[in-house]
Amino acid sequence: MRHTFVFFILLLLSELSLTGARAADLHPPKQVTAGNGFSIATTGNGDATFYLVGPSDRAKQTVRLGNAIEVAADDVRTAGRYIATVCGSDGCASSAFYVVAAAPAQLSFLVHPSRVPVSAKDAISAVAFVFDKFHNLVLQPVKVDFNVAVKDAPAISRSLPTSNGVAWIRLNATRKGGPAQVVASIGSISEHRVVQQVASDACNLRIKATRKGNSVAVETETVRDCSGNPVPDGTVVTFTATDAKGKTTVDAPIKRGTARVQMPLTGGATISVASGVAMGNEVRIGGTP
Amino acid sequence: MISWVAFRRLGLVLFAVLLLARLGPNTAAWAADALPSVQLNADSISPRPIEELTGKNIARDYAYAWQTLAQALDQDRSELLDGYFTGFAKETLSRAVADQKKSGIRVHYIDHGHKVSALFYSPSGDAMQLRDTAQLEVQVLDGDKMVHQEQVALNYLVLMTPAADRWVVRLLETVPGF
Repeated sequence: MRHTFVFFILLLLSELSLTGARAADLHPPKQVTAGNGFSIATTGNGDATFYLVGPSDRAKQTVRLGNAIEVAADDVRTAGRYIATVCGSDGCASSAFYVVAAAPAQLSFLVHPSRVPVSAKDAISAVAFVFDKFHNLVLQPVKVDFNVAVKDAPAISRSLPTSNGVAWIRLNATRKGGPAQVVASIGSISEHRVVQQVASDACNLRIKATRKGNSVAVETETVRDCSGNPVPDGTVVTFTATDAKGKTTVDAPIKRGTARVQMPLTGGATISVASGVAMGNEVRIGGTP
Repeated sequence: MISWVAFRRLGLVLFAVLLLARLGPNTAAWAADALPSVQLNADSISPRPIEELTGKNIARDYAYAWQTLAQALDQDRSELLDGYFTGFAKETLSRAVADQKKSGIRVHYIDHGHKVSALFYSPSGDAMQLRDTAQLEVQVLDGDKMVHQEQVALNYLVLMTPAADRWVVRLLETVPGF
């Protein structure tokens, strides 16, 4: 019983001593906007040392307890949790507060892929991260406008709000080939990326054939995709001649928009053309005149 | 007569006691060297699902990032951040280390583990956003004098991006809540 009494007396004394140590106290605002100076009210009296510790800052100054402590705008530019501590003759007291991002000022914009076939659905992925001027991620939802535009073709636009500082979207490629400007913007802030929109697979392949003695010259019309964009040079076109002896196949790359080939031929034959999965027309050539 | 097994056990106990006694004053240094535990939950990630191996790598690399962060702050060596931090996160933490050197005010973390949820994995796989609830003991020291100490659960919003052979932290921001 006596021991219990002594224990409680000691506990009380220790609590009183702690209370004394907390005589100096400080009251920062719960939340501050990055890059804005503010004041921290203090209680107590006498000189003390003030410490401010943030994600990127460490500051120390001598202050007078009972007066407000002025925190400079430069000391709170990084968003995150800060610990303000004041140490007087009777101990230290601390309080934490948060600095949140300022207004949106810049976008970090990721766009993939760098080349995409025209008219491809959901082929372009665009991700925008919204930052303030101090490179803090802006967590308040902000509407981001996404836009894909090709010269002389209608643009595709969509808007989305950010979630945790991020907005993302999948966009269709436009129907026209060429460099597409992919833009993310918030008001007057915008970021541009270029995606090269290339022709899709060949479509409506057409050939013409002309006999030249014991051979036949076969040539395609300009090879285009289904949207009318010229298929890139280098794309392989396959010509097949079927005659009484069997089949002869020749591959030729597109050069300046067309593919051409000369095939040996003695009798009559049927000539067909294909590129990738696209089949073209067939041409019948008669026997040697 | 004491048996050989009992003698060995006694030796091991003595060794452990000596080791703990040796570590006692240096517990902080030991804690900074330990790899913190990271539990990753990717159940609600979107729009791209996370591959099993990627999930393991993210958890491993995020743990290494925190380990190197604690070491960089303990030893005032910003070059330790090079391995697992990049971009804004590296800039922010490098400034913190530089400020520590200048002011003599140091922050020491004792890391008790991280519960991490993967939020966003970009469609092309080049960025992942996580939120982390970290159990930390935070100590603020002015020279050798401890001016603040707390056990705290802090919420971090994290952005990681793939580098050549690992995932690196591009953004590490404490937030009031999720």
